[in-house]
Amino acid sequence: MEAVTQQIPLEHFLVLSAILFSLGVYGVLTRRNAVLILMSIELMLNAASVNMVAFAAYTSPEQFIGIIFAIFIITIAAAEAGLALAIILRIFRYRKTANVDEIDELKW
Amino acid sequence: MTVAQGVFYLIAALAVTGGLGVVLMRSAVHAALFLILAMLAVAGLYILLASEFLALVQVLIYGGAVTVLLIFALMLTRASDLPETMVGSQWPLAAVVSSLLGGLLIAAVATSNWPGDVGETTLVPFEVLGDALFRRWAVPFEIASLVLLVALVGAIVLSHQDEGE
Amino acid sequence: MGMSEAWLLPLLPAGAFVVLTLFGPYLPRKGDWLAIAAIFTTFALTFPIIADLTSAIAEHGPEFGGVTNSIEWMSVPGYLTLNLGVHVDAITVVMLVVVSFVALMVQVYSLGYMKGDSRYGWYYAVISLFVASMLALVLADNFLVLYFAWELVGLCSYLLIGHYSHLRSAAEAAKKAFITTRLGDVGLLIAIILLWRETGTFSIQGVIEAAQAGQIRTEVLTASVFLIFMGAMGKSAQFPFHVWLPDAMEGPTPVSALIHAATMVVAGVYLVTRTLPLFELVAGAQELILAVGLLTTFLSASMGLVMTDIKRVIAYSTLNSLGLMFVALGLGSPAAAMLYLFAHAFFKALLFLGAGSVIHATERQDVSQLGGLWSKMPLTGATFAIGALAMAGLPFLAGFWAKDEILVVATENRAVFALLLLTLPVTAMYMARLFILTFLGEAKEPEAIEHAHDGPPTMSVPLVLLAVLSVVAGFVVFDQVGRAMGFPGGIGEIIFLHEPEVFRFDVAVAIGSTLLVASGLGVGWLIWKERPGLAIIAAIVLKPVHTLLVNKYYLDDLYQAVIDRVVLMASRMLAWFDRNVVNDTIVDGSAQATGFIGYLLKFQQTGRLPNYALAIVIGIVALTLVAFSLK
Repeated sequence: MEAVTQQIPLEHFLVLSAILFSLGVYGVLTRRNAVLILMSIELMLNAASVNMVAFAAYTSPEQFIGIIFAIFIITIAAAEAGLALAIILRIFRYRKTANVDEIDELKW
Repeated sequence: MTVAQGVFYLIAALAVTGGLGVVLMRSAVHAALFLILAMLAVAGLYILLASEFLALVQVLIYGGAVTVLLIFALMLTRASDLPETMVGSQWPLAAVVSSLLGGLLIAAVATSNWPGDVGETTLVPFEVLGDALFRRWAVPFEIASLVLLVALVGAIVLSHQDEGE
Repeated sequence: MGMSEAWLLPLLPAGAFVVLTLFGPYLPRKGDWLAIAAIFTTFALTFPIIADLTSAIAEHGPEFGGVTNSIEWMSVPGYLTLNLGVHVDAITVVMLVVVSFVALMVQVYSLGYMKGDSRYGWYYAVISLFVASMLALVLADNFLVLYFAWELVGLCSYLLIGHYSHLRSAAEAAKKAFITTRLGDVGLLIAIILLWRETGTFSIQGVIEAAQAGQIRTEVLTASVFLIFMGAMGKSAQFPFHVWLPDAMEGPTPVSALIHAATMVVAGVYLVTRTLPLFELVAGAQELILAVGLLTTFLSASMGLVMTDIKRVIAYSTLNSLGLMFVALGLGSPAAAMLYLFAHAFFKALLFLGAGSVIHATERQDVSQLGGLWSKMPLTGATFAIGALAMAGLPFLAGFWAKDEILVVATENRAVFALLLLTLPVTAMYMARLFILTFLGEAKEPEAIEHAHDGPPTMSVPLVLLAVLSVVAGFVVFDQVGRAMGFPGGIGEIIFLHEPEVFRFDVAVAIGSTLLVASGLGVGWLIWKERPGLAIIAAIVLKPVHTLLVNKYYLDDLYQAVIDRVVLMASRMLAWFDRNVVNDTIVDGSAQATGFIGYLLKFQQTGRLPNYALAIVIGIVALTLVAFSLK
């Protein structure tokens, strides 16, 4: 049986990744709740990880650099999620809201 | 259509469904559940690409830890109580721009020359991966762990209830 | 103490100034003793320098050019070198003696005159700085140091003329003196820069040597020389810059003595004397000096006849003398000018200090309110008479020798000689008038002179010393006098700038001038003492002339009109331009434009996170599109 990489072209993975990434961007731009914006960001990070792993599998499967990259992305994403949630909690405690539309201190 | 192709399209459909759910669901909890779906689908992609370890990590950290964290945050901020305010007013423009971005990315994928398959995709054994991670990539690994530690401490400091608040 | 150490001289009074300014109020007697000690030491130190110079002249012969001692102050290699240094020669030494002695007399006199003044300590501080600047001016070996000192002299005269700063007239007079001399100062500064650009040196001797070697282009040299003379005219109050000097009488009277005899107005004479070799190289320059000197002499002598303020009359006599000095310079005889300067210092200081005593005793300074003081103030009257006669040029007094020397020099030029002879009786007349109206006749205001009496010793001793010197100072022209005083080469050759020719005395000229002076004195005596009605008749008959003279030839009014019409008008226009165009339009306008643009731009700041995120994504899309279009 042929390997997966010979049955499915690389482009398929890349297109899937692009779709997931665009969906994440749309979420970031439209969601008003900070936690949901964070979820959309996680989606974007996952899309990037898929790209990395796919490139690694297609170009240099034995080197597995993509896997290492993905591991680090996941690490950073975890750190980012933890910190962002702490900030959101803090804001919520002060403003009694996690709605980013209502936090507009920078307005003119 | 081969089995592998069928599996890929199935997983891809699940991932896109999950993504759509994350950004479109009115209920925040439902959005979180769809995020879990998308994460698991991505883990499936990793298996398809012969990265079992990564798939495990994906399920454990994203499917488990991060999602639980997000749901906790939803509960603590009572975001689920306000379903009507989920979508901001700039959604038409956001939709145009996001689809434009997606279109551009797909166009870039389509118009570029990508290398074909270089050979057999081999499963990466855990011990080889561990060896590489702790020898060749030891320094980045340690730095990443330091970043995690700092983020952890920072999160604790930030969410700590001050005296008299 | 030799000529090389002469730099110490200005440092002593300068140090006194610093100490008095910083610690004056904490010193006993506000430190006046310190200022006097400093100037006395300076005066004493001039004697070793004279001795050094006379022996140097005896050794090197009359060609001895003086001693220069300078250190490098700062330098920009290949571009500019600034030196600090002193140059001591005969001119310098004469000036040193005059300045330090007159300053000493004035400071001692001020002990009595300024007693009880509210700014007593400050007065002594500034007068020390004044003397220090003047000493530095005459010692300077280069134009730059000279210019610093020159400006300092101007500043100090401003401070001292305006000493009674609560009087509006004093403030105005100080301003007038400062601004008028400033006009000339600018000329001097431009000349210094021009000469430096041409020769690359600030050294006075260096510039003169370069000029004599023909290294300075003619047009630059001409311009520089006339600009230097402009500076000298301002400081020495020559026509048309003479207007500030009579007004400078608003200062304390000892200050007037200092300004007129030693420190301020003779600076111009000194400068021209010092740079006379440059004037000799420029066609017309000496003729200009001559013309200005003659004009000033005539104007001042005529105005002296009608002025009623005792100090103003003396001020016009100073203008008269300064004019004579410039005439001598214009005739190419610095020796005659320096001799006159030397003699003039004593009798002019004497006249002013005598006038000061009168003012101090009667608190009046208008001759129409004075008179009959002779019996009340015999010492003052006698010394004042000596000063007046010396000024008039009566034989064997100091003024006689100096004036006759100028006349002898002038014999070569008949027109000038004749004009000079004309001024002699006029000078004698107004000096006689001044003395008669002040000291003789009936007291016009008896209550004013009732309690008048001679001043305390601090005031009378300087008067007596100066009177003695006004009598004998002229004798230094004879070598025997100098040798008798212990100077091997005699003083004459110093006064005469070691020219080979010695004092020239023409018996015919002396007799002629003496007759003229005597007739002037006689006419003065007749008009103002014996037949007082004559003066009134003359004033009525010659009313237009009298009015013209009393109004100072309307020159002050002319200047005032020019200032009102031209300067103030231009200032108003500039002020309007500044207020409306620069301030309101350019400065405020740009600020308002910035503010308005900022006001417009602020609306992009919605403060909402999704808007910013959308902007970022739009930017990314745009950049990607650009990348695609370039592909």
